[in-house]
This record gives sequence, structure tokens and C-alpha cells, in this order.
Amino acid sequence: MINIVVALPAEARPLLDHFRLRDKQKNTAFPVYRNADMALVVAGPGKVAAAAATAVLAGTDKASTKTAWLNIGIAGHAHHAIGAAFIAHRITDHATGTSWYPPQILDLSTPTENMRTVDCPEDGYPEAALYEMEASGFFPVACRFSSSELVQCFKVISDNNTQPATAVTAKLCNQLIADRLADIEQLVNALTGLADEYTRWHAPHPELEQLSGHWHFTVSQQHQLHQLARRWQVLAPGKSLWLERLREKNKASEVLHCIQQHLDAITTGA
Amino acid sequence: MFSTLYIEEQIAEHPRTRAICERFPQATQVTCERYGEVFNPKAQDFRLQKRKPALILAHKHNGRVLKTPEGYGIGGRNNYYFSHMLNCLYDCRYCFLQGMYRSAHYVLYVNYEDFGKDIGTALEQSNNEPCWFFSGYDCDSLVLEPVSGFVEDFLPFFAERPAAHIELRTKSTQIRNLLKHPPIPNAVIAFSFTPAEIHAALEHKVPTIERRVEAMLKLQQAGWLIGLRFDPLIYEDNYQQQYASLFEQVCSPLDTGQLHSVSLGPFRLPRTYFKSIVRLYPDEALFAGNFTETGGMVSYPESLEHEMTDFCTRELLKHVPGTALFPCRLAA
Repeated sequence: MINIVVALPAEARPLLDHFRLRDKQKNTAFPVYRNADMALVVAGPGKVAAAAATAVLAGTDKASTKTAWLNIGIAGHAHHAIGAAFIAHRITDHATGTSWYPPQILDLSTPTENMRTVDCPEDGYPEAALYEMEASGFFPVACRFSSSELVQCFKVISDNNTQPATAVTAKLCNQLIADRLADIEQLVNALTGLADEYTRWHAPHPELEQLSGHWHFTVSQQHQLHQLARRWQVLAPGKSLWLERLREKNKASEVLHCIQQHLDAITTGA
Repeated sequence: MFSTLYIEEQIAEHPRTRAICERFPQATQVTCERYGEVFNPKAQDFRLQKRKPALILAHKHNGRVLKTPEGYGIGGRNNYYFSHMLNCLYDCRYCFLQGMYRSAHYVLYVNYEDFGKDIGTALEQSNNEPCWFFSGYDCDSLVLEPVSGFVEDFLPFFAERPAAHIELRTKSTQIRNLLKHPPIPNAVIAFSFTPAEIHAALEHKVPTIERRVEAMLKLQQAGWLIGLRFDPLIYEDNYQQQYASLFEQVCSPLDTGQLHSVSLGPFRLPRTYFKSIVRLYPDEALFAGNFTETGGMVSYPESLEHEMTDFCTRELLKHVPGTALFPCRLAA
């Protein structure tokens, strides 16, 4: 599962078409589009809007700690060519000076760059960084819901010293993103692959839900059951957690004791 | 080897930083104010990052040389440890570093000169009584040697201070820089081992036992003092056979009469680290075993721990002199 945050409808359009995102969600503060494995929110320009839209998307029922997050948009840079694409390796909020460092653990063809989030369009590009308006709102909020390796920012150069930001139109913006769809797809696939693997590592025992619904477990007992089920998965892979002996148990504590005994027998070879 | 280098602004122009950057011309260089901005944030996953860790070059401001925990040592009274690096290139599933740090990036403190000063101070404070300085607590002492030049830099320092003893603890075979120097009597190169079956299952990226024994032998033949570390002892049903075979394999090629020290220690992890590691690797068989918690430390049940330690001690004494053996037990 991956959630994408964009600022402008013109940035969203090529992504909606390419990933066949439809099903516009009604009654939300921001337009949200979905397919089975992806959601995209159009936040509007600025870091506050990006932060709010990210939080809204995270609040929807499909988001989890195993969800990947991607901010896609346009940015300016003093000399990088129009249409060049970059992933952020450092995001600095221009107003506060705070920086974040999205971990770069994926092997991708897109180069990485410093990114500076400004509150209004910047046409002087005083530092060697991509200037844009959303990343510092998006990144720390997305990191509240997912591990930072699963959170990335991808920007396409829309303006530079020779072509000012005032020349950026919706049509150009649409075209710039459309021209980078191959890079975006590579990044999306890599991030979702990572998120899927992360999900597999942490998948609970398939019978856990059924078991915890059958008896009343306190919160503490639920933790114990979760731990025992984890050990069960490792020590008795493929074997049902629904032991015949459990059927006669009346209390959750008896169930836990029974499973514990069974595991002890495995580990001590008794 | 590294595709991203994070560099603290303060040491960007340090000669060691420049040399390391030149070694990785293709790596992206990212500057940061303090390395903690990269290394410490909460929303990081050690297991994910271990796929492709970056190198962080940093300045160590304080706490460079610290007293070791009680019971840690190989016979000396004044024991200190220091870490010029955090995290390890290897990926041993039992390692406490996975539970201690949120990030799997490697931090290399480039201000070795300050470490040297602090070691000197500790030595003065002990009125020139012998002091032991353990390296390799938060990292492997030698594995990054070709990049860090740590041994190259520190050996002359210790050569001039005979009261200062250094232990370099390693699982690596990076011994080239050591062999370039004449051996010094106050340095011990301590190699860690687990049985071949454990090595294959849990010590990812670690050189084979054969290669490490070969490296050890070369060092011993060159006159370096060698230590053997069997820590942690890992339980398997046939651990007796596994450890007996390991001791034979490791000790038989060596001149065991010349061994500086041999130590063994049971598996133990602080409870919080253990929980963090289990969260990272819920699918790891090692952590599904039988463990107990005593005084905030997770270990094998006491009877099993004693049984393993006693067996390994007896078995080791068939190969090494008793005066060189330092078993380590959990504090009660």
C-alpha cells in the first residue's frame, strides 16, 4: 500500500491516469483518489496543506504503519535542467531551519538532492537545493505513521535561473510529471515492495484474531497471546494454534497456560 | 560500499573526513549539523536500514572513554571502553546493537586525537597503574579498518604507553594494517567465535571460521598477542558437540600456550533491547527459545546457562591453560 500526496490538480492528473486512480472520495477536506493498492490526495500548495492532507489520508482506514508514503511535485533549482527529477536526501524547512533526512536504502536511477521548503515561491535559489513548498509539511507527519525508510519526496524541476517560476503553467506542470512517470513508477514499485516485505515480517499469526475472539483476553493477556503466537509461528510453523486441548478451556488464562506449556515442551524437547 | 555519506559540518574539512570522501567518489555527500539528526530520529527501522546503511562521519564531543560495566574485563583492575564507531558492518542476529540504536547507519567519529587525549587522561588518573581499554564494544574494531585507519592511527599511541593495554575485538580478517607494524606487548587482538552452525544461521556477512583462524594464526606467528572470545554462548540441542568441535577447530592450529586470554560469556541482553530486537525480527528462531528475565536482563534459564558455561569451561581447559581463561557470569 502506498499513499501519494501532491499539491496541485495538474500534478495529480498524469498520476490518476497512469495508476488508474478513480473513486474520488466525497465528504473529505481534500480530494482523495484510490485504487486497490494506492491512495492519492490533492493537498493544495504549501506545507500546512501538505501536513493536513497527509494526516487526513493517514486517518483513513486503509493506512497502517506498513504503508509507504510519497510526496510528488515540482521544484525550482538554480541550474538543474527543467524536467530533471530528484529524490530528497535532506529536507530543510526554510522558516525554522529544521532538517530531516529521508534514508536512502533503495537502488533507484533517480539522483538525490537537498530540498528546501519555502513558504512562498523562491526565484533567487540562493542555495544549492531544490526549492519547493510541501516537503517539510509532508515528511514529519508521514513519519508519525510509518518508518522513515518508507517515506520519500520526489520532485521534478519546473523552474531555474533561465526559466522563472512565473512561467510554470498547469499544462507544463502536467507535462513535467507525465514525462517522469517511468521514474515515479520505479520508485512506487520499490517503496511498495519494501512496505509489503515489512508487512510480511510483522504479520500476526493467521489464527490470532479467531483465537482472541473466542475467549475474553485482557489487554495484558492479548500481549501475551501475541507473543506466544509469534513463538508458535517460529517453533511450530504450519501447525494450527487451535490445539485440541484448547477447546475445553473456559478462561483466557488457561488458554495462555496451555499454549505456553506446548511451547515449553518444544523448546526443551520434552 | 557506501552510496551515501552524511558529514557533520564541524568535521567537513577534517583530513580524515576528506580522505574518506575521496575513497568514495561516487557516494552522495549530505551535510548535517549534528549526526544525531540522522542517527537518532524515532521513525527509523534498523532492519530496513540494514539493507543499505550509510556512513556518518561525525565528531565525538564527550563521553569518549568510559568505565566498563562491573565484571567486564580480562584480569585488569582499571577497565575502560571506547567506541570510535557505532554499529557494525556485520549483521549478527544476537547483537545488542540492533536493540540499542534506531538506525543501522555506521557512525565513525573522526576526531581520534581527542580519543587519544582522553585515554591519556584516564591513564594519568590511575597513577600509571596498568589500564585496559576495550575497543569493539559498540562496533567491530577492525572490520572498517581500510576506511577508518583506526589501528594505523592508534598503534603508535599505545606503543608509546606500555601501561595502557588495548583490546581490539573483531570477527573480521582485516589484519593488513596490524601486520605492517611490529607487534606491541600491550595490544590483544581478540577474535569472537560461535560454532559453524550458529555462524551460518545468525552471523550474516561474517567471514568463515576457517578464514578467521587463518588470520589469527598469521597474527600470532607475527608475534601479536591473541585472545579468543566465545561470547555469547548460544544454545542449540546439540550445543555440546558444536562447541567441542569449535574449540578444537579454533585452538588446534594455534600455539595455545601463547594465548593472551580466553573468555566466554552467556547470551544476555537488557530487557528493552531484547524486546526491540524481537520487534524487528519476530520471525527469528533464536528469540522464540526459552528465556528468563533477571534484574532487567534477558538470558537463558540459570540452570541452562550454568550447564553451558560449565561444559564450555571444561571443554576449553582441554585446549588452553587455566590461567588464560576468564569465564563471565551474569551479575546476580
